[in-house]
Amino acid sequence: MGLHNGDKMMRYEEWSKLARKASKRSLWMVHFCTGCGAIEMPPVMTSRYDMERFGIAPMATPRQADVLLITGYLTVKTLRRVIQVYEQMQSPKYVIAFGSCTINGGMYWDSYNTIKHLEKYIPVDLYIAGCMPRPEGIINAFLELMKLIDEGKARGWERYQKYYDKYKENQRRVFNFEVKEEEKEEKEQKREKNEEH
Amino acid sequence: MKSIELLGKGEEMHGRAYIKLSADEIEESIKKLKENGFNHFVMLSCVDWLDKGKFELVYHMWNYEEKEHAMLSVDIDRNNDVMKSMSHLFPQIETYEREIHEMYGIKFEGNNRLTPFLLENWPHDPPMRKDFDSKKFVKQMYESIPFIEGDENEGI
Ligand code: SF4
Repeated sequence: MGLHNGDKMMRYEEWSKLARKASKRSLWMVHFCTGCGAIEMPPVMTSRYDMERFGIAPMATPRQADVLLITGYLTVKTLRRVIQVYEQMQSPKYVIAFGSCTINGGMYWDSYNTIKHLEKYIPVDLYIAGCMPRPEGIINAFLELMKLIDEGKARGWERYQKYYDKYKENQRRVFNFEVKEEEKEEKEQKREKNEEH
Repeated sequence: MKSIELLGKGEEMHGRAYIKLSADEIEESIKKLKENGFNHFVMLSCVDWLDKGKFELVYHMWNYEEKEHAMLSVDIDRNNDVMKSMSHLFPQIETYEREIHEMYGIKFEGNNRLTPFLLENWPHDPPMRKDFDSKKFVKQMYESIPFIEGDENEGI
């Protein structure tokens, strides 16, 4: 209606600012209870720490949730499910990852079966350090996330769209990791050696 | 201890009976213990003795009346890791054998359910074997994957 492009842009900016302000006070979360962090959630949800005073509520399905909580280490098998859940969520969506296991593997740094850096596979907006973080830490993380949302800095979901191919490539690599040729040779040698004995 | 008397060998170890058996004796021994009150099969565990070139399978059984824990241990050769399945004696052994097959690669003859159990798409060596180099594996599999470039606050 006679609006210039620039005006439209400005309107969009203003509206999304408003939307962010409103939505940051009603974060619905789906907590993907892996690892040790699941046990920290009940005190956060119930009357002791009472997350609902900040407008945070647990949600049963990913399609209606805004925040995905990854509460600890992930095996490759679980990662596949996490990605399914993450992709079902509607934008804008945020990810909070708990504990050192999601940051760099934590105490499972040399485990054959757990992924080491969660952000290689899905974008993470916020990490909480600790093994495991206490409920105060979790509440603090939510407040921090609200601040980031308000400032328009929690944009992991946009990154996921922008670098979609790269995320997919990383996921494919971890799901279909194959033994390399040299490793196969090594195995053969080992077997031969064993047979000689 | 009752199990030691029944089988005529073994020793007491920290309040449990530890009985070393050969692979052919194991079936008879489990049967015998089962008939004499050891009617709870607790678990089947496996130890990899890399330097001795052996796998040790341990069959744990429990007697409720005597409150006695019996461990029947069998050594099998690391290079010929085949064992007869005992799942016809206690059905739960099937699951333990399945797990050990996945984690150590031991084949249990007579168990036709040795399908993937906990791991998914696992084409590599069984991970619990002592000669599985997990640090090297982690380097090849996880550390070789690059981080996604770009600033974390960056949008579209
Ligand atoms: S960071 Fe610590 S508490 Fe959290 S999942 Fe890992 S080991 Fe468990």
